Amino acid sequence: MGVTSIARSPSSKRVNKKVFNRLLASPTGLVGLCIVFFAVTIAILAPVISPYDPALTNPVDRLVPPFWSEGGSTKYILGTDNLGRDILSRLIYGSRISILVGISAVVLAGAIGMFLGLIAGYYGKIWDFVIMRTVDAFLAIPNILFMLIILAVLGPSLMTLILVLGGTTWVVYARMVRSETLSIKEKEYVKSAKAIGAKNFRIIFKYIMPNVLPSFIVIATLNVATTIILEASLSFLGLGIQSPEVSWGLMLSDGRDYVATSWWVATFPGLAITITVLGVIFLGDWLRDVLDPKLKG
Amino acid sequence: MKFFRYILLLIVLLLAACSGGNDEEGAEEGTSNDSSDGASDEVLTIGNSNDIVSFDIHDHNNTSTEAVHVNMFNYLVKNDPDEGFIPDLAESWENVDETKWEFKLKEGVKFHNGDELTAEDVKFTLERVANDSALLEYGAYRQIEEVEVVSDYEFVIHTYEPEPALLNRVSRIGSGILPKNYIETEGWDVFLENPVGTGPYQFEEWQKDSQLTLTRFDDYFGDEPKWSQVEFRAIPENSTRVSELLTGGIDLAVNIPPDDIERIESSEDTTVMSAPSQRVMLFVLRTQGDYPTADPKVREAIELAIDKEAIIESVLEGHAVPTRTRVTPGNFGANEELYDTQLYDPERARELLEEAGYADGVNIKLSSPSGRYLKDRESVELMVAMLQEVGINADVEFLEWSAFSTPYSNKEFEDVFFIAYGNSMFDGSQALQRLELEMAAGETDYDNPEVEELLSEAMNNMDEDSRLEQYQKAQEIISEDRPIIPLFQVESIYGVNDRINFEPELSEMLYVDDITIK
Amino acid sequence: MKYFFLNVIKTVPVLILITLIVFILVRVTGDPVALMISENATEQEKAELREALGLNDNLIVQYINYMGSIIQGDFGESFRYNTDALTLVLDRLPASIELAIVSMILATIVSVPLGILSAIKRNSLLDLFITGISVVGKAMPNFWLGIMLILVFSVMLSLLPVSGSGTLAHTILPAVALGTGIAAEMTRLIRSSMLEILGQDFIRTARSKGLFEAVVVNVHAFRNALIPVVTIMALQTSTLIGGTLITETVFAWPGVGQLLIQAVNLRDMAVVQAAVFIIAIAVIVSNLLADLIYRLLDPRIKYD
Repeated sequence: MGVTSIARSPSSKRVNKKVFNRLLASPTGLVGLCIVFFAVTIAILAPVISPYDPALTNPVDRLVPPFWSEGGSTKYILGTDNLGRDILSRLIYGSRISILVGISAVVLAGAIGMFLGLIAGYYGKIWDFVIMRTVDAFLAIPNILFMLIILAVLGPSLMTLILVLGGTTWVVYARMVRSETLSIKEKEYVKSAKAIGAKNFRIIFKYIMPNVLPSFIVIATLNVATTIILEASLSFLGLGIQSPEVSWGLMLSDGRDYVATSWWVATFPGLAITITVLGVIFLGDWLRDVLDPKLKG
Repeated sequence: MKFFRYILLLIVLLLAACSGGNDEEGAEEGTSNDSSDGASDEVLTIGNSNDIVSFDIHDHNNTSTEAVHVNMFNYLVKNDPDEGFIPDLAESWENVDETKWEFKLKEGVKFHNGDELTAEDVKFTLERVANDSALLEYGAYRQIEEVEVVSDYEFVIHTYEPEPALLNRVSRIGSGILPKNYIETEGWDVFLENPVGTGPYQFEEWQKDSQLTLTRFDDYFGDEPKWSQVEFRAIPENSTRVSELLTGGIDLAVNIPPDDIERIESSEDTTVMSAPSQRVMLFVLRTQGDYPTADPKVREAIELAIDKEAIIESVLEGHAVPTRTRVTPGNFGANEELYDTQLYDPERARELLEEAGYADGVNIKLSSPSGRYLKDRESVELMVAMLQEVGINADVEFLEWSAFSTPYSNKEFEDVFFIAYGNSMFDGSQALQRLELEMAAGETDYDNPEVEELLSEAMNNMDEDSRLEQYQKAQEIISEDRPIIPLFQVESIYGVNDRINFEPELSEMLYVDDITIK
Repeated sequence: MKYFFLNVIKTVPVLILITLIVFILVRVTGDPVALMISENATEQEKAELREALGLNDNLIVQYINYMGSIIQGDFGESFRYNTDALTLVLDRLPASIELAIVSMILATIVSVPLGILSAIKRNSLLDLFITGISVVGKAMPNFWLGIMLILVFSVMLSLLPVSGSGTLAHTILPAVALGTGIAAEMTRLIRSSMLEILGQDFIRTARSKGLFEAVVVNVHAFRNALIPVVTIMALQTSTLIGGTLITETVFAWPGVGQLLIQAVNLRDMAVVQAAVFIIAIAVIVSNLLADLIYRLLDPRIKYD
């Protein structure tokens, strides 16, 4: 990643160690990385490894339990849902959208937040005032409320979902980037760069942004988890991904009517979400230890 | 230390929780012990999936709201599924000439506030909805020109045109008679906070989105009300409503998902009751313009591709009836030949597409609401797969109701949309008017002069027999032209606690006094 | 005290921005006419209604009118209930606040000891276990948790009522469903703030003075770790209120969350505006209070 070479916290001995060694030393980090790697691989290979078309309905084979339960068959390893669709195939394809939404929304939010945070922190004055008051305003309105209103009107599609998720969660990054920028701005090397007449643009991208990145990456990683969960909540409100597309959130939300009668419909997507979130958080925590020992919480 | 104080608090909370739970059970036993013949101090609790929309009886078109209102207000006449029109507030009526209906009110009918019902109240109620175009029910009452008061208990309804369905109109949403004096002296705001009607139960308290409580009205003009109190609870989440039923928290649960039927049946204290409803699921198709569905062969292929029975057997667990018409039995004008039947023939559908020049398949856009009707999305998903089988690739778009209603109202959908229509008038006119030229414009653009003539004649035809024929003929032609493809009539499914007797109504109204203790 | 007032003043532009955001959200995106008028209405009737609602004015005029009324505390009338939107929201607020407070108390009871324990026993099996639990708690969407809680505690064990409100017993399940995610988040945050304090000089000094580990942890670290907890709690307010939207639906709880969902579905714009505004004020006030308490507890802290 290269970011480890940035000397922002010289007193820390850990930073200089090799990333790989740090990973081996942290079992949770290793587990997190494996889970995330596994999930992403499945998402990429979905068409190859999926046993069935995830949208293929089969009214005859409705609500077939997993193969180890009574009445199950190895035809459908994890059973079928209320329309006779293969749950394993849906999980595999669902990973695509859940992960895609999680990552895209975070990238979008991160980009907006980074940009505005840098401007607010670096230029200060009226820029800072306007941007930070906007941040405060957004922070005062719960994310899910924003999404409820926008999505209820626009109608949910993959694109709007990503835009709305990204467009409402950027404030966290803007806040963090701004405060980091404020302190980095006062560092000697930035001041000397200024003194030799470097352009603002250059200073921001060459000196400030790389130093903000470690904390940024940590927060972004953890937010992938939050976004995946938010997507599920939106599905509950009927505003998440819509059929025939499939996401874990949609599967979980659809499955809630079957909790008492056909447990497997909702349990597997629930497990998929939990395990992936677990992986992402472990990875994020580990990244924090490695990249940014000062950042806690 | 604070820490220990927290722990203490937790213990207190838990204790309170447990004792609260016990109280609950105690109360439960108390009520069921004293099950006499039903007229005592019993409380009935009903779990609806939605709260009532409003107490403005003219400004909603929501069946589940009306199902509650019928216990607080009375219509002039009641449309009984077996006996036809029977007296409610009106004692007798007569169709004097084509546009004049004389009514005589029952005497001594009391409003909940003590006022006595007179013809002035009827005039006030019906003329409000007949004249104010901003009210949601205006469309079903604007045919009324005037309510002429003859005496305290006699009045005449004048209509602009001959109105064969007048009795249907005054036995449904919007016809609950309101207290003129109360509303005029106190104002609408007070009425909406504290509604007053003539019904067997009177308003007690409305905790919005949570619970509406009604109590027995002792001066009710009809049979003595059976329950001392009725609580209508709003429980939107299906599984929560079912759980409330299973734990005895409610006596009657509305809108049971078909998948929970077995669970409710297998529980000792609960059963499931279901009955046909007035709700027909259907496709609405563009019949003109640059849409593939403008070709009648494509529309026919769509109908032939769909195995309605398979959908009913699977996601609806048998709780629907396939139909080819929107006017189902129990409604005036029903064409029973088109009911309980389907034309499933995928082979023929493929041929039709080929004849229409779509041998390689055809793409259509299909819009559907999601989460609005019983298993709406699941049904559509199965149908999309069936259409795919014959070579119709439906690009389906599911919209949450509020997002669906705007393009619906603006008539912006493309080839096909899915919707369910009810029929609170129990008359063919309401079911078919959306296919008349004026209403169809921009939506189906359906234009068949013969149907247009049949429908507009039937609208003002006072001769029942020929009117019936006109509607039946119109349905026959529509079922061949296919501006709409009716799919199935869904049943309403209720979960019932064994301590009560409950019979579902075709109209989905919840007449509390028809519910009795076992 | 001075910067407290400064912060209060700072919220004025924030509030104005919120009105703008809400206005844009509601006006630009929604046309309530479709839901307000009869299916059989003519185009002319629709146009008349639009005119009557003032939806035909240009947006800037609409916004100015809207701001003018808000200053007078008038958020307009609810289409659905025909009553003042603000009163409607304020009537429902206590139920939501009750739910939020009980959730917060439960979350605090659970997360403070777990977070501290996890920090003291850093990298032990116990720490791993607590981290695992808190991740699972965080990963479980609260609608899901709510449904499971009902099935287990109400249907299977018959311990608690399924839904509704009124008694403390009714509050337990929704509060747990709502509080679990918060508790998970707080556990993690308390753990890291505790770790930071354990690494600080005064703790090392205490240790070097030969004090028992338990005393060090209890007396010094714990007290100091509690200070950031206040801020952490305040930061969760927004999440908490967001969560009530879903929890209230699952448990048929008559709070602002359900009111809002209904209002959005019916495009009852006045209610949406009033509710969002009130929620935003609640969040801002709780943050201000947290800030104040923080300063009072820890006078050493200075801000830019």
